[in-house]
Amino acid sequence: MKIIDYITEEKINLSTNLSKIQNFCASKLRETPLPKSQSETWRISNKQKLSSLLEYQYDLNSYQPNIPSYLTSKKAIKINVGNANQFNLKENDWQIKELNTKEINFLIEEKIINNNSEPTWTNLLNHSLVSEENLLGIKISGENIPPLQIFCNSKINHFNAKTLILLIDEKTTVDLLQVNLGDKNSSLSLTTYVWLEKEASLNHGVISLGNGTSNLLNSLDVVQKIGSNYKLSTIQMQYDFARFEVNINQSEGGGHTTIRGMQVSNDNEQIGTYTKVVFNGPKGYLDQLNKSLANDKSHSIFDGSIIVPKNAQKTDAAQLSRNLLLSNTAKIDTKPQLEIIADDVKCKHGATITQLNEDELFYMRSRGLTFAEASKLQLKSYYKEIIDSIPVLEEGLELLNHLIN
Amino acid sequence: MQEKMTGKEPLLEIKNIFASTEDLTILKGVDITIQPGEIHAIMGRNGCGKSTLSKIIAGHPAYKINQGSITFKGKNIKSLEPEERAKSGIFLGFQYPIEIPGVSNLEFLRVATNARRKFLKQQELDTFEFEDLVKEKLELVKMDYAFLNRSINQGFSGGEKKRNEILQMALLNPEIAILDETDSGLDIDALRIVASGIKKIANKENGIILITHYQRLLDEIKPDFVHVMANGQIIKTGDCKLALELEKNGYEWTDQLSQDS
Ligand SMILES: Nc1ncnc2c1ncn2[C@@H]1O[C@H](COP(=O)(O)OP(=O)(O)O)[C@@H](O)[C@H]1O
Ligand SMILES: [Mg+2]
Repeated sequence: MKIIDYITEEKINLSTNLSKIQNFCASKLRETPLPKSQSETWRISNKQKLSSLLEYQYDLNSYQPNIPSYLTSKKAIKINVGNANQFNLKENDWQIKELNTKEINFLIEEKIINNNSEPTWTNLLNHSLVSEENLLGIKISGENIPPLQIFCNSKINHFNAKTLILLIDEKTTVDLLQVNLGDKNSSLSLTTYVWLEKEASLNHGVISLGNGTSNLLNSLDVVQKIGSNYKLSTIQMQYDFARFEVNINQSEGGGHTTIRGMQVSNDNEQIGTYTKVVFNGPKGYLDQLNKSLANDKSHSIFDGSIIVPKNAQKTDAAQLSRNLLLSNTAKIDTKPQLEIIADDVKCKHGATITQLNEDELFYMRSRGLTFAEASKLQLKSYYKEIIDSIPVLEEGLELLNHLIN
Repeated sequence: MQEKMTGKEPLLEIKNIFASTEDLTILKGVDITIQPGEIHAIMGRNGCGKSTLSKIIAGHPAYKINQGSITFKGKNIKSLEPEERAKSGIFLGFQYPIEIPGVSNLEFLRVATNARRKFLKQQELDTFEFEDLVKEKLELVKMDYAFLNRSINQGFSGGEKKRNEILQMALLNPEIAILDETDSGLDIDALRIVASGIKKIANKENGIILITHYQRLLDEIKPDFVHVMANGQIIKTGDCKLALELEKNGYEWTDQLSQDS
């Protein structure tokens, strides 16, 4: 596997200004280059697909993404991780400021090195590889902030790695759409860290769209302070192998978290979402819906855990996993997990696996719609709920049509 | 049995149909012939097979036809998909119209209308042209345009669902319309609206089957034939007087016939 060889053969040591983090992560990977197969969230991952993901040439350059019209927002400030020059956008009532290397390193060290818990393999890989140009940290503060779009992409026949850090200041409200695009035959490793300060609010869309043969390792880590509001709306599809790991920590409790996620798998693809929401204080709130749609011979995985320790009394958490199986040969694994130690909490979770509704299909067919047209309308409604909740997106309908066809 | 023969080719001819689900035979030899311009009423106890008959005409995949034939304009339609039957002019107004959350009523109606128009070699309508057409048809059933922006039948009252069925019928301009208890659960005003909608659509070329329990509807729309169904068969056919007799004597009166046959 080219990427693992690249790390283990110590090629990255040749790079002149190797950071402490890079050293730390690379040395960990040299000990255990691949995810431990006994690890619960990697157990049913397709090992062969993972090795294909790692079989591309590492490329520390970055390329201007080719942004389709249905993902372009006219109003938004657009930032491309990799070709962003040092910037500091400032108006009377708001500021978007790029963090310097020292600030960024400090933040990542806190996460990776000075942290009690073991870093994930996905993040170790990301930090071993990411070059300084592909590392972007921004701090946003103020009022009336314009919507933002942040792009990350991988280039054909290459493996690209990017890291993004977002600090949202106290009482600051931000609408952000993160767009991840994969060329065919390419891999993207992306790690995003978000800090939401007290009473900050982030309406966060993440659209990850590959090209059928693309691969994605996407890690999102969010820390929410008390009174903060975090809304995540995501859609990921068209990857041969995609893995989205979401870690949300309500570090003081008292946060408000909403998740609307959707993944679609076709052909022989394997697409997975792994979310973990931890309440480290009382009165936290979570409302989570994950939809999976599996077609052909594909495999869709949803693994969602909610952790409510003793100090998280009066937590109110609900999780629902809704799954739609479109073929007899597709496979869906859904695993909601609650770990509750506090006693005064409201937690519910559920999972359904269904097929397209026969009666609904017949009703539409009896009006002259073909089976395919009727299914398409049903699917549209299945997608729409998620697409409608994605912020910044101006061409939701156009995107929907693109995804359905 | 049916005297009003015109000499034309029948629109719809159902001959000795036996139909079943996986483990239950529901229709046990049904015959009906409908000529252009005719209105037929089918009456009969709950559970005797009226809806099943209407669904097999529309091509519902849950039922298997074990025997008999269904001919529409001289062509056996047994192997046609439901959408092909619909496009060629067969319309079923559902006893229980289905709610489809998330699917826009307007979009559904437009796709359906265009499918039918395409079959008729008429020009397909774009969003604006369709809007004009649908506004005109909404008049017929006294529905508000706002209904179209909602999901199909979702949250509609019983009467609104039935009016939505008649709206669809008006848009699709069918040659055979089977209206399965479209009058059930309607208040007097809604019944009048539905009845006058049906009357406006009925003409010399098309045929209508009204499945109903009530004389009220037949007062408004006078059927040429009334069939009484029991236990998967048509046990008696007559004119509109038969419906009045039924109204007076109840279905028990026909039970005797059913046992005799
Ligand atoms: N899809 C089905 N599966 C099983 N039984 C059915 C099905 N459809 C109809 N039946 C049964 O067949 C009989 C006739 O039903 P139906 O045609 O709906 O009667 P009607 O419309 O005259 O009230 C009933 O006993 C009903 O329960
Ligand atoms: Mg019925």
